[in-house]
Amino acid sequence: MPPRRLTFVEALVEGMRGEMRRDPDVFLMGQDVGVMGGAMGGSKGLYDEFGPRRVRETPISESAMVGAAVGAALTGKRPIVEVSFGEFLPTCMNQIVLQAANLHYMTAGKASVPMVLRTRVGDGPYRGHPQCFEAWFTHVPGLKVVMPSTPADGLGMMVAAIRDPNPVLFFEHMYLYHAIRGDVPDGDHATPLGKVFVRREGTDVTVAATGWMVHKALAAAELLGGEGVSVEVIDVACLAPLDFDTIAASIRKTSRLIVAHEAWKVGGLGAEIAAEAAERCFFDLDAPVVRVGAPQTPLPLAKPLRDRFLPGTHDILSAIRTVLTT
Amino acid sequence: MTISSTTAGSSSGAVHGAPAGESIRDTLAAHVSPDDRLALLRNMILCRVLERACCELNPRWFPAEGEEATIVGTFYGLRPDDVIAAHYRGPFIAYAMRGAELGRLVGQALGKANGYAKGRALGFTGPVELNIVPWVAGDLGTSLGVATGAALGLQYEGGDRVAVVSFGDGTSNRGDFHEAVNLAAVWKLPIVYVCQHNQYSISLHASQVLACGSIAARAAGYGIPGVSVDGNDVRAVHAVVQEAIGRARAGEGPTLIEACTYRLGGHWASDPGGYRSPEEENEWRRRDPLPGYERQLLAEGLVDQPALARLWDEVRAQVAAAVAEAQAAPPADEADLGLDEVFAGESALANGCK
Ligand SMILES: Cc1ncc(C[n+]2csc(CCOP(=O)(O)OP(=O)(O)O)c2C)c(N)n1
Ligand SMILES: [Mg+2]
Repeated sequence: MPPRRLTFVEALVEGMRGEMRRDPDVFLMGQDVGVMGGAMGGSKGLYDEFGPRRVRETPISESAMVGAAVGAALTGKRPIVEVSFGEFLPTCMNQIVLQAANLHYMTAGKASVPMVLRTRVGDGPYRGHPQCFEAWFTHVPGLKVVMPSTPADGLGMMVAAIRDPNPVLFFEHMYLYHAIRGDVPDGDHATPLGKVFVRREGTDVTVAATGWMVHKALAAAELLGGEGVSVEVIDVACLAPLDFDTIAASIRKTSRLIVAHEAWKVGGLGAEIAAEAAERCFFDLDAPVVRVGAPQTPLPLAKPLRDRFLPGTHDILSAIRTVLTT
Repeated sequence: MTISSTTAGSSSGAVHGAPAGESIRDTLAAHVSPDDRLALLRNMILCRVLERACCELNPRWFPAEGEEATIVGTFYGLRPDDVIAAHYRGPFIAYAMRGAELGRLVGQALGKANGYAKGRALGFTGPVELNIVPWVAGDLGTSLGVATGAALGLQYEGGDRVAVVSFGDGTSNRGDFHEAVNLAAVWKLPIVYVCQHNQYSISLHASQVLACGSIAARAAGYGIPGVSVDGNDVRAVHAVVQEAIGRARAGEGPTLIEACTYRLGGHWASDPGGYRSPEEENEWRRRDPLPGYERQLLAEGLVDQPALARLWDEVRAQVAAAVAEAQAAPPADEADLGLDEVFAGESALANGCK
């Protein structure tokens, strides 16, 4: 059978659909996930197939929604709870970082929380609620944090997240939703969590990126390829636990590292990866690690300000030029 | 959800507000002066024309059509030194009634530099210098806490200033709502909570997400007065809110008001909809508060048809001028990201709600 080509959002829905067919304990809850088909089509078709018991509309009560997912998971169900946008995660922080994250460890391993919290982040054509708070959660032991950047991983990581016995925070980048179409494998396909993926091999510099920035990094690599610069691009599709081994192997090859994400540069995932690089790869590096991220202001909303605020391909290009000339 | 005006929260015995029943409109209307009646009309028309213009300019704008009576009735007649926090749907008229300039507000809907916040905040934010709690984030419900805190500040300073905050029916399901109202009740803060109950949160009808039929009924749980009012009757809303403001000014604490209305448009301007029936929409279109109020004032002889036509023309011209001003304004200045304005220095203490 030829591979199917799906958009990013179709792949996410496909991942949920497959698991809901396979496992009756899997259900989805969130705002407008039913008849409307979810924000930006994020649960399109699921209500028609599975009905209101398994595709559950919720009030605007994020803390209770996430708490309900934690509790249902504790009773052995496999809830997918949708917080429409990552901007609202602060409203349910306790349930995520103090309940979901702690339960397994604090019960000496007797309990587990097999839930998925899916949420939309990042800038995109919609331009609403673009906050990228994913790095906050990598600070917390007990949470898995993923942010796929391709349709195949969107599907495969959704499947893996639903099957995972731990709470998984699933960040869906809104720009990718409809902008990207790609091959997805047929059948029972799970992308392992806890791995990062080399998207493009290169020898001169490594760019480790997340979400939309992976595509910007690939664009930068393409441009520089024409100038004879060979860029390796790593997709940090799983932010926690972090597969630094793959990044370290790349650094040993290229001796230069750039980390790029859409979230604030200060205290972000880039800081963690740069620190790992300093601890583990100091003598393999030929240049200081450079982070590309958003500047230290609250996220402004008018388009010109947003465009200025968002790190782009040009920022990755200039970071690469910097590390190549140091 | 019915539209009849009733008091709610019966179990507490702490029920205030308008008398129940059909006569409410006449009883309350008597308290609204002819000048105020006309001003309410003008502001409702302005709300409609202005919000329609914003929807045409920005397909992501949130239509307020059908909710004008609730919004105008709530925020009309406040003192400039009171503090308001308006729900994100249709707040511009609330700001305009405090003196905000229409051209600058429309500029915000377009992300222009002439807005009140350099394009930084959400388009529906308001000028804090007019004692308006601004919209600096999109998480609904949080502003209830901020408005409650503003009321704390007002109580703390003594005097008789009050805060008025409006919010959606959907938003009332946030924990922040419960925490804020309870806190205000315990401390008898000078604040009025007005639920702009348009029966929907995006695609979800209130019946899907609210097991108690009435939001005003929740007031009983906090030990404060709760009033349910016909949100399509601008005079009824205005009278009920003013009565609650009177209690707040007198140190008698908060009131929870539910103004029952209907979102005639989509959740956002280009919302394809499809989640509610045309019959329902048509039924509520028939109850559109604006023509209803016009008919009342015509019947009362406060306006005649020519005067009404002139009023619409004036408002249309006013909004057209605002739109032209906003369109001519430059886009928000991308060079002004404000890296040096993230923290306040001493001088910033002079700004904000005064
Ligand atoms: C905390 C939070 N959750 C979800 C949303 C997404 N959202 C935006 S508007 C809206 C509906 C709000 O309903 P309501 O409070 O009734 O106001 P209305 O839109 O009807 O005016 C939702 C769910 C949000 N902005 N904030
Ligand atoms: Mg509503």
